[in-house]
Amino acid sequence: MGSGPEIPRREFLKSAVAIGGTAAFSACLGREEISVPAGSTEWSSYPDRQHAWTDVLPRDDYGNTIPPRHRVLLFLNLDSASVPDPSDRETFESALRGVEAAYERSATGLLLTVSYSRSYFDRFDADGPTGLELPPPEPLAPFEDPQLDTPDAVIHLASNTAQVVLGAEEALKGEVGTLNGIEQPEAAITDLFDIERRRVGFVGEGLPAENARESDTLPEDAIAEDAPMLMGFSSDFESTQPTEDRVTIQSGPFAGGTTQHISKLLLDLDQWYTQDDRWQREAKMFCPHHAEADLIEGAGDSLGATSKVEECGGTAETAREKGVVGHSQKAAQARDENDSPLILRRDFNSTAEGVPTLHFLSLQRRIEDFVETREAMNGTDLAADSPVGQRTNNGILQYIRTERRGNYLLPPRSLRALPPANPTAATMEATDASA
Amino acid sequence: MRRRDLLAAGGALVGGSLMAGCLERLGFQTQSAWRDPPLVEDRPDGVYYPALVEGMGLYGTSTDRDLGFALFYSFPHRFWNLTGSRRTKVVVRPEDSLHLMASVWDTATETVLPVDLSAEITDEAGETKTTNLWPMLSPNMGFHYGDNVALPGAGDYEITLEVGPLQTDRTEPFSGQFRDRRSATMTVHFDPSETYALDIERLGEQAGKRGTVELMELEQVPAPTVPPASELPGRLLHEGGSGDAKLLVGLVDGESRFREGSGPYLYVSPRTPYNRVMLPRMSLAATIERDGGPNTTTDLRATIDPELGVFYGVPLEAIVNGDTVSIEVQTPPQVSRHDGYETAFLEMPPIEFTVG
Repeated sequence: MGSGPEIPRREFLKSAVAIGGTAAFSACLGREEISVPAGSTEWSSYPDRQHAWTDVLPRDDYGNTIPPRHRVLLFLNLDSASVPDPSDRETFESALRGVEAAYERSATGLLLTVSYSRSYFDRFDADGPTGLELPPPEPLAPFEDPQLDTPDAVIHLASNTAQVVLGAEEALKGEVGTLNGIEQPEAAITDLFDIERRRVGFVGEGLPAENARESDTLPEDAIAEDAPMLMGFSSDFESTQPTEDRVTIQSGPFAGGTTQHISKLLLDLDQWYTQDDRWQREAKMFCPHHAEADLIEGAGDSLGATSKVEECGGTAETAREKGVVGHSQKAAQARDENDSPLILRRDFNSTAEGVPTLHFLSLQRRIEDFVETREAMNGTDLAADSPVGQRTNNGILQYIRTERRGNYLLPPRSLRALPPANPTAATMEATDASA
Repeated sequence: MRRRDLLAAGGALVGGSLMAGCLERLGFQTQSAWRDPPLVEDRPDGVYYPALVEGMGLYGTSTDRDLGFALFYSFPHRFWNLTGSRRTKVVVRPEDSLHLMASVWDTATETVLPVDLSAEITDEAGETKTTNLWPMLSPNMGFHYGDNVALPGAGDYEITLEVGPLQTDRTEPFSGQFRDRRSATMTVHFDPSETYALDIERLGEQAGKRGTVELMELEQVPAPTVPPASELPGRLLHEGGSGDAKLLVGLVDGESRFREGSGPYLYVSPRTPYNRVMLPRMSLAATIERDGGPNTTTDLRATIDPELGVFYGVPLEAIVNGDTVSIEVQTPPQVSRHDGYETAFLEMPPIEFTVG
């Protein structure tokens, strides 16, 4: 990567996140003129929910939370197949606290979670983690054939500041001794894990258009300057997101945690932007009613804090009478008895591998909640008895190909470092003591 | 590749002597013959002869258990997408290399299936691109799947066509079939000098007149057509027309593969007006009005049958002479269209007839 002054600062920063490494991090430091406060070392002041981000995220004029702009996912495999011991937990916890001490827990600073797959827990107990279902990933549509991710753990790093995600990643790997002026511990995740893969990305106003300009495979000028996501529309409406309470596990040893699904979806933006027009995109993303009533300006901000999905009408009726059914309209069918959506989206886009991608990351109380939501999005029932095809005119399925899927347990903070499958008071105390 | 590079590559791909022969034969000095073919003025609201009919080539056929797959190519085409009643023109992009087309059918009965189809294209370097092809109508192909595809250059490509399970209702012997994903991989060679050596037929004075060219016939690939009126099962009640489509309405009575138990079964077999091309992805409803009785309206269900192909039908309690039947087209066929079909089957008023 060149780091000469001719590269515009913002473009440089997102490229830096994509490339990563200490060089990119060092280069970032000089570019991003921002001062991020160090984090608290009053460890009891941190919320027990790792996923408690909403309180510290900024909100737009309509009250919708604005997700952190820069993301890194680290997919980790333990070097050893054996059961982790207290010193392994201490090493991991120490590395995590190192980066937390360096950057305050905020959108400008660092938000992070650690999650574990079923294959991690299988080393303890063939039944998986106690008190919840953590099924291995599987294909979730009759027409998809994804690779199934089974890393032991995934770390999610998020910040509005590019250097924070980069710096945290480098410090976790033991590559930097001092981070944001804070001395880092000897402990590194690389003492315990191999980093199997790294996914990076962005979300938020301006970033998709900037990335499109740099990418080989995106239709240039098609993506609006203010679009927060590559498909041009916002997905983060207050009314389509459940509360963190709704997605939090309520009982058992992992109470306070949640489950996480991460899929990698490839997007056909050529078809989306050069073969469909704005009306078709609105009808397919929201619903035909929204397109006909011209409810959507720009990325959908005119909808305010709601996608107004209740005005869309029933999916079966719409499919037969309009020949097309909207993605939001279908997804809205997956709600609980209190009319709350089931999955909390924390997804982001990427162009790092040359192909426009959606890293669909969602939190939900049970993986089953995700499966139910995805089934609603599939609209398979609609394809049986309407002009809507399995993918054609069936929401946005035409433009999406599922490459990978993985399911994870995101434990409460007290169990975030290599938890046993059946944590007892004793193991939890041991974890606390080791900290 | 950035857009400006693509423009350069696109130009290089079709430039020089490769294209010159084919186009000069036609009196064209530029690539405009197929990059941006003329659109007939004053198009009728129905099927018409386009200005040009481009030739097509067969890359090959393959089977996966009960399904046959065919892969074709032609010049990149302009086509029209339809979403509900919204039609958009899809123009050829500078980077488009060819129009990739495919067909899928049941090998035992040679029934063409309307199931969404994806194409995964892998180049010699192992780079893969996947696209979901559009269901489409064209004058010489009839119903097929297609899209304009950009390839990085001449060379060998591995193309995997894949379909998911079919959700549409079907009659025996299809009820247990088409429940799994099926795929076929073919290796094809893309060479602009071969691909663009296809014929371009200019239709001259015929262009813009109602009618269309004959479907191309291939021994290995079944035609995407439905049977003539004389070969429909049961009793033909009515031959209607709507939006330039023909709607043939028939009745099968007694015990049949079309319904559980015994009784009348009403069906509508829509087709294009000239070549009997199937028209999938419609929604239709039937209202039956009887003297002294209430009107009953029921949705017809899209169904696939080895004899009838794609049709829309519903079992009835009873239907008697003197009943008035009206068939409402709730949604016109949701298929993309090449020039010659883009003004047909859009506004489709109801048809009505009396059973007698």
